[in-house]
Amino acid sequence: MSRRSFKASLTIYWWLLLFFLYLPLAVVVLFSFNSINSAATFESFSLRWYRELFSDSQVLSALSNSLILAISSSVIALLFGSLIGYGLYRHRHRKLGWLIILIYLPIVMPDIVFGIADMTFFVRLNSLTGWLSPGLDTMVLSHVTFEIPFVALIVYSRFVGLDATLFDAAKDLYASPLKRTLHFIIPAIKPALISAFFLSFTLSIDDFVISFFTAGPQSSTLPIYIWGAVKKGITPEINAVGALMIGAVIVAAVISLLVTHRRPRQDS
Amino acid sequence: MTQTLATERTASPTTSKQEQELATGAPAREASSITLEGVKKFFNRHDIALDGVDLTIRPGEFFTLLGPSGCGKTTLLRILAGLDTANSGVVKIGGKDVTEIPSHKRSINTVFQSYALFPHLNVEDNIAFGLKMQGVAKAERDRRVRDMAEFIQLSPLLGRRIEQLSGGQRQRIALARALVCEPDVLLLDEPLSALDAGLRGQLQVELQRIQRRLGMTFVFVTHDQQEAMVMSDRIAVLNAGKIQQLSTPREIFERPTNTFVARFMGHTNLFDITSRQANKLETPLGILEVETQTQGNKVLIRPETIEIGPDAAQYANQFTALVKEHFYRGSFIEYRLQIGEVSLVALSSNQGQKLYNVGEQVLISVCPEDIVTVASED
Repeated sequence: MSRRSFKASLTIYWWLLLFFLYLPLAVVVLFSFNSINSAATFESFSLRWYRELFSDSQVLSALSNSLILAISSSVIALLFGSLIGYGLYRHRHRKLGWLIILIYLPIVMPDIVFGIADMTFFVRLNSLTGWLSPGLDTMVLSHVTFEIPFVALIVYSRFVGLDATLFDAAKDLYASPLKRTLHFIIPAIKPALISAFFLSFTLSIDDFVISFFTAGPQSSTLPIYIWGAVKKGITPEINAVGALMIGAVIVAAVISLLVTHRRPRQDS
Repeated sequence: MTQTLATERTASPTTSKQEQELATGAPAREASSITLEGVKKFFNRHDIALDGVDLTIRPGEFFTLLGPSGCGKTTLLRILAGLDTANSGVVKIGGKDVTEIPSHKRSINTVFQSYALFPHLNVEDNIAFGLKMQGVAKAERDRRVRDMAEFIQLSPLLGRRIEQLSGGQRQRIALARALVCEPDVLLLDEPLSALDAGLRGQLQVELQRIQRRLGMTFVFVTHDQQEAMVMSDRIAVLNAGKIQQLSTPREIFERPTNTFVARFMGHTNLFDITSRQANKLETPLGILEVETQTQGNKVLIRPETIEIGPDAAQYANQFTALVKEHFYRGSFIEYRLQIGEVSLVALSSNQGQKLYNVGEQVLISVCPEDIVTVASED
């Protein structure tokens, strides 16, 4: 094969890849605007399914559950995850490599394992103590658990990128421990905090498996609602939910990327 | 101390401290002394950073800690700053025991080697950081930051972000950020080592001028003996956590007390003393006539004190040497000479005189008063 046709085939491969990745998503979005209830023919543009969606109390409750779950779990995970990230950084000179592995492990653990384990744990805990009946509480706890490692790693790597002497400089310039936190540490890692929050938010909104196993009867989220609805066949309403979620995830991911990849403010 | 300063400031709210100093040439605050008594620091049993340091730094002095890397000079500086704690010993600043006082409560500021400017703040906020942390009111803070920026000639940079600045500019901002707090003592941790030679020379002079003008006690850390000599009132040469010699630059260069100091200052002509009489020392070079002698068991002949050529005939300690190598260094000529089995280096200042070629025999001599005896380091 000549060099030129090799390059051409690489280009074709690239476009095919994009095609298969994004075509299904595009179809979902397109058919969410279909005026008739058909998955085969697109008649004309209409917001009919979005209107129906927003008058469906089940969908609205699933949407609000999803948002409550994503926001509250991300806030809590941000708090605890960044403390872990800071702790890992502060004590990086000790032999704590195994701690990082403990943080990495949940990231690669299959969701189904997590989901079943969490469910078993919560059910057992509930039957023994009466605490935490399945519902939003248990879902928030589970989501916080799987989000914390991501937050911890993002915050930790931001700290590693800072000049360690900055901590000395803050002390040297009369900053008490509290003032160091408020005027140096938090502002210095702010990009990491923002990006960790949006990553957690995206992971949570998107999660089906863990949510499914830890949810209660009143705490369906959007993915759980979709899964239930799809069993009765794919309706344009589902397409509309899908399109909205695609939009939300893209927005969160873009914000997270923009913040992380903003030109670093230190170049030496 | 802080109290008096505050009163001074309210008494003359329109003129800054620096302006007053510029006008009168006198420091607005009394400089502080530093006393270290038996300061020891070890990281573990085999890693001793400071092995009992006793030291007094005078108020208003430009004092330099000089030594190779790992000699303990930075550790000593960090103990002064309160960023590290000594395992034993006492640190006093202005007569007050600060051994247990944490860094943020000491009236000491540091210019760090990496400058350590906050990347999330612009130049102005970086300079204001220390004042803000001390709770200085906004108006007062702004005024002092502006005055300092003017004093150090970086007013146009105040709004810039740190990443937009050159190394030299960062260095001056780090200096401004420390000076604006008007500390009792300013610590400088190799602040010029990251700069190119030209800029370094310029900033050496500038730093020295600023120190004289403010009359502040400066403690400077460097591994560069030239830099130490140019800037300091006194130098402490450190090695293996101990002070090897503490004196003026001239004394340290011309009269090193031991072979470590002599070698660190760049001297290579060190010879064993095999036996001694009243004013005569026997060395592998031959018999040397000296003016005074101390207990040292080595003799040091500084290369620039060696007279070469016809002029050598008028002095004592004459030898005939063979020129092994010579290097033209512009303002002087370096000769590598051999006398019998012994080789030595001589520096001859370039006054357009005849140069000696390799293989030539030359007459050299050394004035007895230029010969110093030094102790072996261990």
